[in-house]
Order: sequence, then structure tokens, then C-alpha cells
Amino acid sequence: MVELITLILFFFALYVIVSLSLNLEFGYGGIPNFGKALSVLTGALVVGGILNRLLIWYFGIEGDFISASSLAAYRMTEIVSQNPLIGLGIFLFCVTMAVVAGAIAGALSILPSAKLKGDYLGVTLLAISEVVYLILFYNTEIVGGYYGVSVPDILAFVPGEYRVYAYTVLALICALLVYLFLEKLLNSPYGRILRGHRENEDLIKAFGRDVMKLRIKTMALGSAIAAIAGVVFVFYSSSVVVNAFNRVEWTFYPFLIVLLGGKGNNKGVVLGAFIFVLLKMLIDFYKFDIKYLLHLPFEAVWLQYIVFGILALLILCYKPEGILKEEPIYTPPIKSRLKTNP
Amino acid sequence: MIDVLIGAMVWSNLLVLLALGLTMTYITTGVPNFAQASFAIVGSYIALTLLRLIGLNPYLSIPVTFILGGILGLSTYYIALKPLIKRKASIEMLMIATLAWDLILFGIIGAYSEVLSAITKKTETLFVFTSLDFNIYGIPGRLIVSSLLVLLTILGLYLLLYKTKFGIALRASMENPSLAEAMGINVENTRLFSWFLSGALACMAGSVLPYLQEIVPQTGYFIVVSIFAASIVGGLYHIVGALVGGYIIGISESLFTYILSILLGPGVLVYSKVISLLMMIATVLLHPRGITGTEMWRRVERWLNL
Amino acid sequence: MIKVEKLNSGYGKLQILFDIDLEVPRGEITTIVGPNGSGKSTFLKSLFGLTDIFSGRITYQGKDITYIPPHEKTKMGISYLPQTNNVFTNLTVRENLRIAGYILNGEELEERINFALEVFPELRGILDRKAGSLSGGQRQMLAMATALVRKTKILMLDEPTAQLSPKLAQVIFDKIVELRDNYDITPLLVEQNAKRALEISDVGYMFVSGRVAYGGSAESLLNHEKFQSYFLGVVGIEEC
Ligand SMILES: Nc1ncnc2c1ncn2[C@@H]1O[C@H](COP(=O)(O)OP(=O)(O)OP(=O)(O)O)[C@@H](O)[C@H]1O
Ligand SMILES: [Mg+2]
Repeated sequence: MVELITLILFFFALYVIVSLSLNLEFGYGGIPNFGKALSVLTGALVVGGILNRLLIWYFGIEGDFISASSLAAYRMTEIVSQNPLIGLGIFLFCVTMAVVAGAIAGALSILPSAKLKGDYLGVTLLAISEVVYLILFYNTEIVGGYYGVSVPDILAFVPGEYRVYAYTVLALICALLVYLFLEKLLNSPYGRILRGHRENEDLIKAFGRDVMKLRIKTMALGSAIAAIAGVVFVFYSSSVVVNAFNRVEWTFYPFLIVLLGGKGNNKGVVLGAFIFVLLKMLIDFYKFDIKYLLHLPFEAVWLQYIVFGILALLILCYKPEGILKEEPIYTPPIKSRLKTNP
Repeated sequence: MIDVLIGAMVWSNLLVLLALGLTMTYITTGVPNFAQASFAIVGSYIALTLLRLIGLNPYLSIPVTFILGGILGLSTYYIALKPLIKRKASIEMLMIATLAWDLILFGIIGAYSEVLSAITKKTETLFVFTSLDFNIYGIPGRLIVSSLLVLLTILGLYLLLYKTKFGIALRASMENPSLAEAMGINVENTRLFSWFLSGALACMAGSVLPYLQEIVPQTGYFIVVSIFAASIVGGLYHIVGALVGGYIIGISESLFTYILSILLGPGVLVYSKVISLLMMIATVLLHPRGITGTEMWRRVERWLNL
Repeated sequence: MIKVEKLNSGYGKLQILFDIDLEVPRGEITTIVGPNGSGKSTFLKSLFGLTDIFSGRITYQGKDITYIPPHEKTKMGISYLPQTNNVFTNLTVRENLRIAGYILNGEELEERINFALEVFPELRGILDRKAGSLSGGQRQMLAMATALVRKTKILMLDEPTAQLSPKLAQVIFDKIVELRDNYDITPLLVEQNAKRALEISDVGYMFVSGRVAYGGSAESLLNHEKFQSYFLGVVGIEEC
């Protein structure tokens, strides 16, 4: 049971990070980022592709990338188990790199379509994300592809049975920081302009703001945040397997969460992430029981896809505003007036 | 080399069929259908089922896949889109709906492949039809059949759109739905027709696809970018765009991989998607309305008096 | 022929028209004028059922048609030609005429097309051209011809002479008069060429900010001070 709760909390934290970043782009900015998975994958790529290569070079390991990675990860894990600071240092280093790489990836991916209407924008973002995913999946020399590569265990200093909890706490801390950061950001002038842009592009143009720049900035920010989730995820699983970063898990599910919780409402998205992860983990955890109980002649994961697909359609149709409606933004003058005349 | 050309033609033919549906539903309903590739895989599995259970040759099952595909297209519209359109949902919401529908189809395909495996006691999660193909004077059946399908489709569409009253009404509704409504045309019929045809053509293409490549439940995720590239490069606002774009993308993908495989050795199939992506991005950047949306194309059309 | 009482309408929640009272008598030309954005087009769209009607009543030959959908109104003999995009540019002239009679059967359709071509003989020579390649005047005539194919009784035209040369505009105005005199069609016009339009009209209305500012005989409106100050003052006599 504790195991299940930890699992739920860990993935809750991950999905909070990714869905909040999507809420920034889509919920507030109106950018239909159907390439969300790309930014999470970027985080994984930073660890599996860059950190691993640095370690291989540092340790002077010979041989093909995948087996050299295993050896390098093993050596580094040994070092970290003696020296917590190095582990945390590597984590912070990777997060920093992922933020930079994510921002670049996000900005680049929207560049071709930043001026276009929602449909072209969404299609282009999806296509870019899919092609990068396919290449990383089939080319095993970049980050191990479908074979996967090992990465060091940055929390190796924590005794084995507690390590999962430590990762969960780490993930929750990241999620909390992201939440606080976004709340602050969205109540700034930038947040108001972003929302204005979604409601009426022409209005923002009239204010002299360049819509294209605003979109690029938003995508850079959103992707940078989501890349952090990728980093946390691969350290937790101590490997990068590209399949884990597919479009269902990291594009569609975040959209489902944002819709479920309420577009443009961060509290709602957190709530949505919790409900979703609870459902998903229960299905995952009890998949054999479900298969047995319902006499399913197939794996429960297919059922999970069908269920979440139907759930998304139901929300779109019957509750498109989600559980929590979008809150009005209070500018400082309004806030102070609310305080004085309640 | 000749094999490469044959493969390129077959793939292009199939892409044309897939992109035609995508373009038509985009014109009539205004939503890019992310489930288009999954339509094809449903078609592949229908053909596989008929082959395994009653021994029907996949080519002969095409009429069946056509009709079942049409029903699939119609249900996509009725279940996933129409309720939202009625509520005046935004284009982004409609796109999410097609993604959701795609996931549902993916789940159904995956579950079904395991059910079928249990029935036939074989692994049906991965299959090809290549060994079943026939051959006339060295020309493989898949080339003959896929070319015939494209020819028949184009001929049928041409006769329908230009020679019948319903077809003229269809073209009218595609160009200007509100004016068509003012003329007393029921515009909804156009949508139903385009969704039926989209599903039908895609499933038909899907029943030929296993002659060309291995099919797994995930295959849709592999080909979706090519379909979108074909429609966008050709032009999403013009039915002929699917034809033009299908051949451009299909041939470029195949030739590009061929050249790469000479340079780098095997295992480069995935890079064919890079060329599609680049062509799509170039189109989006330079001329979002695609080739059939250019001034030059209009001149060609005027010259052909179409 | 058409009677509008206390009509309030707009788009979604946005109200554009307020308490419109208006009457279109049979066999006469009624023209609506008014400054840009005053709701003239919105009014025609409301009559045809293309806007959201909040309250009020529209009757046609005594029948309440307030909430009848556009394609039904088409069958009742009400035609509406929008300000722009009033023909299918990808279709040929012939196809446009055929599609206009979509609800008719084969023989009757041919008959009506021949009739429309009698009224607009200018179209005979260009039947196989795409409508997109026609000149502005030809296009406007085609649009009006499509209305004739549909056995129109009341023809709503939104700025039929916009972007036409004064000479061509006169041709269109002459056709409108001909429709009234010879074919028992009641034209309802919205016009920027206010002075010239009112000169051929019987009844005139002026809209300002979504309300009827004046209604009466076309002649009285022409001489009314409100009209003089709004149009002649702003636009100048030559341009009208
Ligand atoms: N589809 C629409 N949705 C929302 N508002 C609209 C729409 N069409 C017009 N409006 C608004 O309704 C008001 C009246 O517009 P309308 O087109 O009826 O004016 P008009 O008198 O025809 O002007 P013009 O002489 O320029 O054609 C304008 O403020 C316009 O912005
Ligand atoms: Mg107008």
C-alpha cells in the first residue's frame, strides 16, 4: 500500500510539472502544444545523452555507447553513494542544462509556425515532436533508443529501501517550486498579456506586443519547465528508455489533466493531475487483477487507453471548462480595492 | 533500384488515399484529423481478420474494408466531433477530440490484436502480407492494385464532383458553407460524405499497407507525419493537393532513404520522416496554403480549364 | 410583404440591433442607408436567420418567420445576397446557376435558368467561365441571376454596387428597377451609394447605431435634414 501511495505521489509530482507547463502554454497562452512530449524527452536526452557522454569521457571508458553508459553510470553511482553532494550537484547540473535545452527546443519547435492559426500550429508542433521521438527511438546510438541506457543513481547515498521515498520527495519539491514560480509569473504583467493574447490577438498587436515573440517566449518557458520532469523521471528510473516518452503519456495525458482540472487554473490542474494519476496508477497497479476480474482477453493497458480517450471526449463535451473554472486575474490595484471594500 | 521505385510508387499511392481523406475532412469540418493514420491500421486489421478467419485474400477484402472504413469515418464525426461542433467548441478542442479518438482506436486495435492472437493461436500483433502478393510479368500486385485504387478513386471523385448535382453542391459547400446553406443545400450532408469517404479510403489503403511494410498496433504513430506532410505540402484547402502532396512526399521519402541507405547502410527508414517534416515546415513557413494554393497552380488550373 | 416589429438581435451575447420596426411593401423598392457599422448588414442577416435574435417578430406575408432556418426561407421565396462572397468562385457560371436551383427538379431548373438568362443576357457568353474570373459587375449580375433561378419573391441585396464604377452601378440599379417592374420581385437594398439608391427607391430607412433613425418615403428621406447632414455633408454630393 505504501508502495502504491509513493508511486502515486511521485507520478503526481511529475504530471503536475508537465501539466502546469502545458497550462501555461495552452491554458493561458492558447498555444495548442501537441508536441509537449518533446520537452519531457529533452530532459531525458540531457541526462542520457549529455551527462552520460561526459561521464564516459571523464572515466575514459571505451566501447559502444550503451555498454559504456552502464559502466559509467555504475562508477558514478558508486561515487555518489559515498558523497551525497556530488549526487545533488549532478542533479542541479542536469536540471540547469535541461532548462536551457528545453527552452531552446521549445523556441525552435514553434519557430516555423509561430505566426499561424491554431490548427497549423498544433499540427506542426506534433509533427516535430513525433519525428524527434521516432529518431531517438530507432537510433540506439543517441540515447539508447528502444534498448535504453543506464544513468547514475544520484540518490545512491540514501539507503536502498528509502530511495524511492527520497525521489518522491525530490519530485514533490520540484513540483512545488514550479507551482510557486508559475503563480508568481502569471500574476505579473506577462501573465495578463498572455491571457489577453489568447482572447484577442489583434488587441495585443495593437498594444505593440509582437505575438510571435510572446509565443516563442511562452513555449521556451513551458518547455524548460517540462524538461525538469524528464530529468527527475530518468534519475528515478535510473535509465532512459525512449518508449517511456511517447506522445500518449506526455502529450495526451497532460492535455487530459488540463481539461479535467480546468484550463487556465493552476489549482485546478494540480487537482486534475491528482485525480488522473490516482486513476492511472490504480489501473497500472492492479492491471493483473483487472485483467483477471473482467476476464479481459488482452492487456489492461489497452483498456486504459480506451478509458482515458473516452474520458477526454466526455470532458470536452460535458465539462469543457473543467472542475475549477478559470479565475480572474487580480491586478494590484483591484486587489487593494478588494481589501478596502470587501 | 527498380524495387526502390516500385516501393516508392506503392507508398505514394497509399499516401494519396490517406491524404485525400485528411484534406476532405479538413475542408468540410475544419479540423485536422489526428486519427487518420489509425483509420489505416484499422483497415489492416480488418483485412487480416478476413484473411485468418475465412481465408479471404486481402485484395479481395477491399470492398469490405471500404464500407467498414466508411462507417468508422462516420462514427468519428458523429461521436467525437459533432457534439462538440454543436456546442461551438474551438478548433483546439476539436483537435484534442481527434487525439482522444485516436487513442481510443489505438486501444481498440491493441486489444483486438491480442484477442485475434488468442483466436488464431498466432502472434497477430505483428504481421505482413508480402508473401501473399501476386505478380504479373514481374510487376508486384501491390503496385498494380494500389495504382488501380488511386485511379478509380480519382475517376470516381471527378465524375461525382463535376458531373452530378450532388457533386456540384459538395464543391459549393466546401467553398462557402453559409452561401450553400442559403441556396437550400443541406451542408451537413457534405460533412457526412467527406467523413465516410475519408474512413473508407484510409481503411482501403490500410488493407494494402501490410504488403509494403510490417504492421504493429503502433504503426499509425509511425505514418501520421507523412500523411500530414502530404496534405500540407499539397495544400489543405484543395482536394487535388492530396494527390500532388502524396506523390511528392511518398517519392521523396523513398528516394531519400534509398540514398541514405547507400551512404550509411541499412536501418535508416526512420530518417524518411525527417524529409517529410522538413518539407512540411518549409511549406508552413513559405506558403501555408501549399502547392495548390499558389498563384502558379491557379494558372495551371486555368490552363487545364478545371 | 415583410414586417419587422421590435427586433433585437446580434451575435452571441453582443447586441447590434435595437427595437427595429420596419416594413417592406410588396412591389416597391425599399432601401436602407446609414453610416458604416450601423447594423445594416446585420439587419439583412437577421431577416434571413443568420444572427441570434433576442426578441421581436418578423412576418412574411402574414406568416411568422422569426426563427425559421435560412434554407427554409429560401424555399419560401426569400433570397439574400451577402455583401461579399455571394457566388461560388470555384464553380463555373453555369454551375452557379444550377446550384442556385438545387431544390428544383431537372425540367423546372432548365426553365428557370433560361428565364434568369433572359433577364441577364450578359451571362450567356460566359457560362463556362469560373465565377472567380469574372469582373465585379459580372459577378454581381450572376449573384442576382442565381436569386432569379430560385423563384425569388423578395430579394435582399447587401451593397450590390460596392466597388463598381458609376456606370456599372447604374446598370445594376436599372436591373433592380426592371426586376420590380417586370418580374414582380420586391427588392430590399442596403446601399452606400445612398443618394443614387434612394432615387430609384420607393421607401427609405436610415439606420444609426443599430436603431431606425428615420423611415418613410425615399423622397422624404432624401430631403430629410438627418440624411443631408450624415451623407451629403460627410461624403459630398459628387460621390453620391
Ligand atoms: N459576425 C459578427 N460577429 C460580431 N460582431 C459583428 C459581426 N458582424 C458585424 N459585427 C458588428 O456589428 C456591427 C454592425 O455591423 P454591420 O456589418 O451590420 O454594419 P453595416 O451597417 O453593414 O456597415 P458597412 O456599411 O460597413 O457594411 C459592427 O460593430 C460590427 O463590428
Ligand atoms: Mg454592411
